[in-house]
Amino acid sequence: MKLKKIKLSGNQLVLIIAQIIVITLFSMLNSNYFTMTNLINILTAAALVGLVAVGHTYLIIELENDLCPGSLCAFIGVLSAIMVTNWGWSIWLALPVCMLVGGCVGLFNAFMVNQIHIEAFIATLVTQAIIRGFAYIICNGIPVPVADASFVWLGKSRMLGLPVSVWIMIAAFVIFGFILAKTKFGRSVYAIGGNPQAARLAGLNPKKIITISFFMMGVMCALGGVIYVARMQTGQPSANVNLEFDAITAVVLGGVSFSGGVGNMFGTVIGVLLIQSFNTGLTMVGVSSFWQYVARGALLLGALATDYLRKKNSEKKLLEISKQIG
Amino acid sequence: MADTLEFRHITKYFPGVKALNDVSFTAYSGEVLAFLGENGAGKSTLLKTLNGDYQPDEGQYLINGEEKHFKDPKEAIAAGVSVIYQERQILPELSVAENIFLGRMPTSHYGVINTSKANEDAQRIIDQFGLKMEASEKVKNLSIAYQQMVEIMKAYSRDNLKVICFDEPTASLSDTEIDSLFEIIKKLREEGKIIIYVSHRMSELSAITDKVAIFKDGHYITTLVTKEATEDQMIKLMVGRDLGSIYNNLDRNKEIGDVLLDVKGLSSDYVDDVSFQLHKGEVLGFSGLVGAGRTETMRAIIGADPMRGGTITLEGKKIHCHNPGDARKHGIVLVPEDRKTQGILSNLSVKGNINVSMLDQNANKFGVIDSRKETKVAEEGVRSFEIKTPNIDKKISELSGGNQQKCIVARWMATTPKVLILDEPTKGIDVGAKAEFYQMIMKFAKQGLGVILISSELPEIIGLSDRVIVMRARKVSGEVMRQDATEDKLLSLAMIR
Repeated sequence: MKLKKIKLSGNQLVLIIAQIIVITLFSMLNSNYFTMTNLINILTAAALVGLVAVGHTYLIIELENDLCPGSLCAFIGVLSAIMVTNWGWSIWLALPVCMLVGGCVGLFNAFMVNQIHIEAFIATLVTQAIIRGFAYIICNGIPVPVADASFVWLGKSRMLGLPVSVWIMIAAFVIFGFILAKTKFGRSVYAIGGNPQAARLAGLNPKKIITISFFMMGVMCALGGVIYVARMQTGQPSANVNLEFDAITAVVLGGVSFSGGVGNMFGTVIGVLLIQSFNTGLTMVGVSSFWQYVARGALLLGALATDYLRKKNSEKKLLEISKQIG
Repeated sequence: MADTLEFRHITKYFPGVKALNDVSFTAYSGEVLAFLGENGAGKSTLLKTLNGDYQPDEGQYLINGEEKHFKDPKEAIAAGVSVIYQERQILPELSVAENIFLGRMPTSHYGVINTSKANEDAQRIIDQFGLKMEASEKVKNLSIAYQQMVEIMKAYSRDNLKVICFDEPTASLSDTEIDSLFEIIKKLREEGKIIIYVSHRMSELSAITDKVAIFKDGHYITTLVTKEATEDQMIKLMVGRDLGSIYNNLDRNKEIGDVLLDVKGLSSDYVDDVSFQLHKGEVLGFSGLVGAGRTETMRAIIGADPMRGGTITLEGKKIHCHNPGDARKHGIVLVPEDRKTQGILSNLSVKGNINVSMLDQNANKFGVIDSRKETKVAEEGVRSFEIKTPNIDKKISELSGGNQQKCIVARWMATTPKVLILDEPTKGIDVGAKAEFYQMIMKFAKQGLGVILISSELPEIIGLSDRVIVMRARKVSGEVMRQDATEDKLLSLAMIR
């Protein structure tokens, strides 16, 4: 295989510079920031957001969205803890079952979007509430501890110097990045995001593509939920609030546009790293969690404004070209 | 003194096309000025830049010598410029009076709406117009013609109305309704309004207009006095050159083969009992008014709309397409009418657009795309359809309209179809590109494809088709062979009697 040079768009270059600035800034404010331990901590924390962001990359390119990952991760986390701790299942049985359950929640979202024609934003808001409810219901609101060695291995142990969870995130980025960039499915994702009507008339099946993407998102959330519990060693029904918020911010920062059809997985990788180093940095320099909410909101606003400016710019460019043609 | 409306150097760009090109002329009060031009000549765009719906990129408007800039239609209306569109802009659940005084309902001191005063005022206008309707009637209960009258009265009810524009107002009216519309337009003329009247119907021009401004490809050509101009003269100016010679010089396919596609009793939610046959190597025209069911017939055939009844036979085998993907596999493909909303994928490159229907062929058994195959397909498309683009990685939205359309055709021809359906393929592309398209269609027929051509331009249908199917009100109303096809004949089959 020939290695191709990675082409960086202007936007990705800006993000990499932003990433360097963030790291430099926090390193100056706290000498513990730019250490191997902390950088690995950042990656570990990024694993969950990263997995969810993979799903969001597909969905947002398709003009869809998903607001239930936070709830779903918490629900699956509790469920996996119950399976292993209370029912005595092996994690290697619990994990695939959980991924299947997560996938089914995704299918339910796709059903609401495709068959009942509810906007994805609202449909997944519904699921968010229902699933959060079930997260509490199945454990009566009491967190479920996890002590099983192989379960904890998932969260704690390392391979080649990096935690297992980070390897899982990297694998997800690579596999789904490849699918998005190089396969029939990926091409279809961009086509239906660019113009669903035209894509359908061109012989694609938008509903099918959207259904698969929601399913995949559910599986990713389940994987993330299990990894999170493995790290925390307890299944918390109240966990992962605002997870989708961070993931969406990362994806939009990375260059996926809310007007659909635009973006790639590499951008998402940078977006995830940026947002996680930002969040961890804020905690380390002692910004209160209350203010962190404000900062996250501001970051998303910034990302959306950038998205808008990009769109505006390309429209302007189009008109310029038209003038030349005219 | 007469009021004047001056258009000064109005220029407007849309992505891929210069919709208006340095348009300058003046309209005067007390006369009805027609805008005449082909589809895409810029008439409607001009109205939209006048009333603030679009902003002109260059140039300005002057009313009585005073420069005006309208940020939106609301400002234009407040300044006395109203446009009556083809699509009704009324609120069907509200009463006639509420529609007329929308946003300006008379109120009492406490801000409570005074319905009875509104009804009285509205009734006065209705009586002035000599119409038989109640001010308190809900608009949805009125006929289409009366709904349009409500819109006119809404514009008229403003004291300062200076300019009133009609965008193809008679498109959905009956003859008697048209007469009463003309009475009202005459009344407005006598009151000294500036009246602009956009229409495609030649016969109406002499009935109602005083002058005709002619447009072609975004240019203003000239203004003629209606009484002094002949129809031929106007058509010549509007088409710009004699397309007749283009049609006559086409290299037509003379060997029409066996039946390729046999549609029997096709019904969907939008068409009833449509039957026709298409032969190999034939160009089959579909004529009819907008909304007669031509596009809908094709959508049912390719499975874009569900079929409710009937059979489709392709090369002797019965087929049923559940979605456009099925139709593609059978070799039936549609180049849709609205390039922008149904054709192009504006986020993708020329290469991506051409290849979107070739994903199966370009991928290996694991679904991984071979990008060399994609490049080959795209380069071949660009070459054989002479698509003007610097390279295949150019975004499709950056090409001109005609070249975008060629990309869509290239997309479908890459799939080696048997039946090619073209829905208004030359809409909004310039005359030069049209001629190229016509030759392309003839080439397809020679290759043995069955070509279905939907077009609202009668000369195009007559000039290209071997046979013409006319549709009227969801049904096939007639079939005309090439040698018998005249505009009159097709129109009389298309018109609702």
